[in-house]
Amino acid sequence: MSMLILRRLLALPIILLVVYTITLFLAWKVPGNPLENPEKRPKPEVIEQMNKQYNLDSFPRFYFSYLDSATGFEYLRDWFSGEIHRENEAAVAQGLPTPQRPVFDFGPSLKYDDKTVNEIIRDALPVSVTLGASAILIALIIGTISGIIGAVKPNSIADLSTLGVAMVGISLPSFVTGTVLLLVFSIWLGWFPVAQWGTLRSIALPAFALSLPFAAYIARLTRMGMIESLGADYIRTARAKGNPEHVVLIKHALKNAFLPVLSYLGPATAFAMTGSFVIERVFTVPGMGEHFVSAVQNKDLFLIIGTVLVFSTMLIVFNLVVDILYRWIDPRIA
Amino acid sequence: MLRLLVPIVLLLALVGVSVFSDNPAPRADLVFINSSDVNTLDPQRMSWMHDLRTARLLFQPLVQNDVLSDDFDIIPGVAESWEISDDARTYTFHLRHDAKWSNGEPVTAEDFRYSWRRAMLPDLVSDYVAMFMNIDGATEFYDWRLAQLDAFSDRDFANASERQQAAYDLWDETHAQFDALVGMQAPDPQTLVVRLSKPVPYFLDICAFGVFAPVYEPLVAQYERPDPQTGRLIRRPGWTQGGVLISNGPFILTRWRMKRDMRLEKNPYFWDRDNIAIDSIDIPSINDPNAGVLAYQTGAVDWIADVTAPYRGEMVAQKLEYLAEHAEQVEQLRAQGLDQFSIDRMLPPDPRAHTHAVSSFGTYFYNFNCKPFLPDGQPNPFADARVRRAFAMCIDKRAVADQVRRLGEPVASTLIPPGSIGGYTSPKGLPSISDAKTPAERDAIIAQAQQLISEAGYPQDFVVTLSFNKDAGHDLIAQTVAKSWQKYLGIQTRLDQKEIKIFRDDLKDKRYMTARAGWFGDYGDPTTFLDINYSTDGNNDRAYNNPVFDDLLDRASVELDPEKRMAMLSEAERILIEEDLPLVPIFHYATIYMFDPHKITGLSTHPRTKQNAYLIEVLGDGKGPEQPRPMHKGNGHDQSRGEPQS
Repeated sequence: MSMLILRRLLALPIILLVVYTITLFLAWKVPGNPLENPEKRPKPEVIEQMNKQYNLDSFPRFYFSYLDSATGFEYLRDWFSGEIHRENEAAVAQGLPTPQRPVFDFGPSLKYDDKTVNEIIRDALPVSVTLGASAILIALIIGTISGIIGAVKPNSIADLSTLGVAMVGISLPSFVTGTVLLLVFSIWLGWFPVAQWGTLRSIALPAFALSLPFAAYIARLTRMGMIESLGADYIRTARAKGNPEHVVLIKHALKNAFLPVLSYLGPATAFAMTGSFVIERVFTVPGMGEHFVSAVQNKDLFLIIGTVLVFSTMLIVFNLVVDILYRWIDPRIA
Repeated sequence: MLRLLVPIVLLLALVGVSVFSDNPAPRADLVFINSSDVNTLDPQRMSWMHDLRTARLLFQPLVQNDVLSDDFDIIPGVAESWEISDDARTYTFHLRHDAKWSNGEPVTAEDFRYSWRRAMLPDLVSDYVAMFMNIDGATEFYDWRLAQLDAFSDRDFANASERQQAAYDLWDETHAQFDALVGMQAPDPQTLVVRLSKPVPYFLDICAFGVFAPVYEPLVAQYERPDPQTGRLIRRPGWTQGGVLISNGPFILTRWRMKRDMRLEKNPYFWDRDNIAIDSIDIPSINDPNAGVLAYQTGAVDWIADVTAPYRGEMVAQKLEYLAEHAEQVEQLRAQGLDQFSIDRMLPPDPRAHTHAVSSFGTYFYNFNCKPFLPDGQPNPFADARVRRAFAMCIDKRAVADQVRRLGEPVASTLIPPGSIGGYTSPKGLPSISDAKTPAERDAIIAQAQQLISEAGYPQDFVVTLSFNKDAGHDLIAQTVAKSWQKYLGIQTRLDQKEIKIFRDDLKDKRYMTARAGWFGDYGDPTTFLDINYSTDGNNDRAYNNPVFDDLLDRASVELDPEKRMAMLSEAERILIEEDLPLVPIFHYATIYMFDPHKITGLSTHPRTKQNAYLIEVLGDGKGPEQPRPMHKGNGHDQSRGEPQS
């Protein structure tokens, strides 16, 4: 197991480097200059100087200088040369808070002048993580329960209706379900606030809307797994031993039936945390999805790379976590 | 079995930690939705209206506009009084002693020298750098620095440290150059003397502009230093963050989360803090226009500064219905001279009354390309002013305003919104079919236009191209205009819809025949609208060139008698919109607000559409004097001397 973790962790930087290279190459090819302000039109000399400052005039120079600051080498150099100490002391001498310099510097946002990519990610990532995790949590609960109900009496009314709901959950786009939920529960019934974020009540509705397709998929996985294991010999043994039905279902059948759900959980969690752009729009959730899309529209090079790297890291890490859990829950896989 | 619960526990823990660490603040005294997310809180780099609106909460310039006065008076800000020399070129500002930064340090004349110097640096790429060029020597300083930076890139250095040293030396030299060239002196911490390159009658109005607000040097300088590669001053973001920013205005920034919210608290060191009736402001970032209205309806928001929901036309229509139901009372209140928000406050409460259409300092118009030849080499019929006049007369502006826009916006016959600038008399404008009161009058205007077309020798079967960008309903307006031209002049129009970027480039390069356009004024003087028609102006997208017009602007710029000057500018506008028509004004913009008139007071109805949200009084919250803050009479533009406020 530790070999697995080690191998995956060692692969992480290599994968990120490849992702970085491909993303930068593609983003570089997007036409337009993010520094040009069509309203005010700064002088061409000024644009030229700015391009030079951000290394936007040369692909290799940008490629390596970004690597230098994002990997923390620049910070280390400035630390050893004493530059960072000098800056902090100068601030303290004037009674000001010390300027915060991140170790891994993802650069400035070219569109939002006052923000670095680090700050944008710091503000938005926890929101996306909360939304995604809550959605998967809800999906797990709804999906597993309805999956079990369906499996107990296959082709019954309960089964068909959960399957039907699951189909709807998968097929309906989230801007439809999201808007309907918002309209019914926030506007008509007034149970949940509109366009707010932070409290459990404000998280509930967008998380539920986001959870639906995942819940539907989990329900189908659970149902199939349960039907398969309920027909297995060890279930008959368990029943023959006189175990009550709920113990048989949950302790014996679900344990095996849950394994495919678990392996789905890794990519699903990463996807719920990163792919919630539509839900974020509908419910005005201040998450990463919005930046992911608008950064490309604005050709905000630093922000594009920053968000892509964060998303890739999350995908890799969650898959790793699931792999570890998987092995731990089912020791047969080693 | 328990192991199965591990993923669930992990997820729960994740949600719990992030919700707990979020630590939401209690609802602020005032919650408003700005028109968009703030781009920057660095005053010198601002250009967006929503940035400037926020800046006025955080920073205070030398003087401010009394937005609640009919004349948009200049009143003291950091400067408690000022004198203007007889040649109208030297302004001496006396700063108040109790003007403080939010850390308790005094605001000094040096702070203004530092901040205005920042704006004059090409390094900063300030969008409003041109406004600073009114100051004596600023242009020379800017050009000097730009040339030095250009030369720096080409210089050869033996090694990196030499290069770095050279960058720092250049920076020191820049300070010296500023002191030597630019007419800004601080003889003592409370006195600032500014020398202008020529008399600028609206200079105080410019000084009230957010871009002229001071920043705190000890903080900002930490985040700016010369780049050893290019010699340019590079900015590191960070000093405009919540809890870091030091400002001198009514409020301080305690939190700013990107795309989420901004929290402001009253500045305990602000000199006029006793007149601020609210303690905290929340500015949530709600960019979806519909979500904004919904949030307002659920009570989470007190004021929407720019309603853009697609159904806002219906909202305005409902408001008009509501006003019609109380027509008699409205008439009475209007006769008493009350402003529109005060009238709403006197009427019975109704959710329909929460929508407010206020006139803006901006005009929607159509450009004509005035060049003698079109991009394809053909002769351009619009080079003839008679053709432009005829086309302008035959636009059904009323249909555009009432049937397409549906926001209760006034039809425009002038470029400058009438009544928006004190002391300025707007010309009448060319009569168009929208001005006709009877069918006979209308027919006469049409006949006159057709006459002009034939006099000009307009080519037969010539198809006009009308360009516009594809968003914001410009297509519907274009169709209406094209229909008018077809109906009244019998001329075919080809509609040419473009992406905004291409559209803008085509305007700048004059690759069009007619095109939609719009302009919002920056400061309270007719030149803010007229200058864009000066032959050499960067915004003269029409290639308009009339020496008489240019000459009027030139003479007005050196005229010291304000009345004579305004008369010259009025004559210039008359030439523009009655004779030459390089552009046809179609309507004056309105902005749609949402707020409860019985609860929120202190917003301005002045057509300059500048709101100082720190003046807002929330009625019924138990804070402040709990008195309505209506519009009041102005002081009649006496800007020559500032008087300390009692």
